[in-house]
Amino acid sequence: MTSRLKTVENFYTLTIFILGIGVVYFIWPFISKMVMILVFSFLITTVLLPAVDTLERKINSRLFSTFFVMGGVLLLVFGFLFGFASGMFQQSSEFYFRLTEENYVNDLNSMYESALSSLPGVSSMGDGETPQLAERIQSFISGFIQQILTIAKSGVNFIFLTAIILVFTFILLVEYHHFRRTLVALVPNKYFELGVRIIHNIEMQMSRYLTGQFLAASSVAILSFMGLCILNLYGANLTMIVFISIIAGLSNLIPMVGPFVGMVPAVLIAIMNNLGNESALSHLIFNLVPSPFFIFDIILMFIIVQQIDNNFITPILVGESVGLHPMLVMISLFVGGTVVGPLGMLFAVPIAGVIKVISQEVVFLVRYAHLL
Amino acid sequence: MKALWENLFTHWYKQESPTKTVIKQIPVFHKLTNKQIREIENLVHKRRYKSGETIFKQHAPGEGMFIILSGKIEIFTEDKKGNKKTLVLLGSGEFFGELSLLDSDTRSATAIAHEDCLLLAFLRPDLQSLSKRSPETGNKILFNLAKIMSARLRKTSEEVTEANSESV
Repeated sequence: MTSRLKTVENFYTLTIFILGIGVVYFIWPFISKMVMILVFSFLITTVLLPAVDTLERKINSRLFSTFFVMGGVLLLVFGFLFGFASGMFQQSSEFYFRLTEENYVNDLNSMYESALSSLPGVSSMGDGETPQLAERIQSFISGFIQQILTIAKSGVNFIFLTAIILVFTFILLVEYHHFRRTLVALVPNKYFELGVRIIHNIEMQMSRYLTGQFLAASSVAILSFMGLCILNLYGANLTMIVFISIIAGLSNLIPMVGPFVGMVPAVLIAIMNNLGNESALSHLIFNLVPSPFFIFDIILMFIIVQQIDNNFITPILVGESVGLHPMLVMISLFVGGTVVGPLGMLFAVPIAGVIKVISQEVVFLVRYAHLL
Repeated sequence: MKALWENLFTHWYKQESPTKTVIKQIPVFHKLTNKQIREIENLVHKRRYKSGETIFKQHAPGEGMFIILSGKIEIFTEDKKGNKKTLVLLGSGEFFGELSLLDSDTRSATAIAHEDCLLLAFLRPDLQSLSKRSPETGNKILFNLAKIMSARLRKTSEEVTEANSESV
């Protein structure tokens, strides 16, 4: 009788589990955005929580300490974005000015014409082709407008999402300990101690991971700054190196893809600053390999920084923060990237860490189930 | 005007909560300032247990201590044959399971609610996060725990000495 009851109970649990997965599968498209917002808010909350807690003890007001910490962080972020945008704008303006002033347009045009003449069939294009060309231009312009509208829509969406994330983060920070206690209060008495343990372990895992990542990102930023300064000593003529270093550090948060993203602004600025500079154009890396505008020097520098980070800094700073095998890290990155995209890659490792904590607690639960 | 004054400064007129009063009496939280007690108050978990409900079982891994706000808790041990031996019946304002704040060892006895109870739970993860956020408060609690342990050790030593002298 008992074994029959056990079988019915197992069947019931399995049915509920399958039904649960089915429900999540069907409602996921509707809730995915909200889940992402909550995940982002939770991550930002985890990063800012120690600062808010510390300030709260000093000024005795949770609301004001959250307000000051978030205000400070927002000021820093906007200051960085404004500085970077204005720097890039100035850089682009100078670049445009030099392009027009120093006849690079003519150079580019003559290069384009020589390319056209060398391509078979293109030079034979007669006047009769003009209407087709006009159509093409028209379709190009309409496509361009379409793209601008899409970008504008994405921009509005992004601003809206950012605003919601900030509001959620603010609320989470103010009410964090209250929410945590409410969550614990929902756990049945039987699993109370275990529930608190799981929540605490997940918090610790996230906190350790984020602290490790922050330290690794800072060290990459510092190393990149040093590397760019050394390249400047050899005449790379790079500007905005503080911003480039910070971007390199931040993009390092996304494993594998991030480091390459960090190189892009550096390479762009090197091209913009050195266009027309004969010595930069004919620069040789190690006096052997041609590296026009120091492009390969920059790439090599970032690869070296990456290797130092991967082999020395990350193992020491991040080290056992998540405690996942490198193979598992790569699999989780692949799954995250395939299912969600770049954002998935950003969250893959911490989510894998959380799954690991829950699995460990399940093993613990199974071992002590008879005592609950 | 009086109503406005009382509304604006209600917290000045607020009476101390029963939770705070009980926490203050617990030796683990001795010599904590009002601010630190408030921190503890915000950290502990209020749990309701029905009569006969198990709080924890003997040999189960322990995660922390419980303070009784109301009701009675029976602490007992069971041997391998299932013979039950009641150790103590604890009432309002008393506490149990404090050893688990220090280690993750298994519980030495079972605790069940003798009647409907309201308990405050202060668990090891709470103490760990408190020590991280507010090391001074964490240190005071650990020092108090050490004092409780040393008093018990002294008492046990005296009892062992007495038992030895009687047997001689």
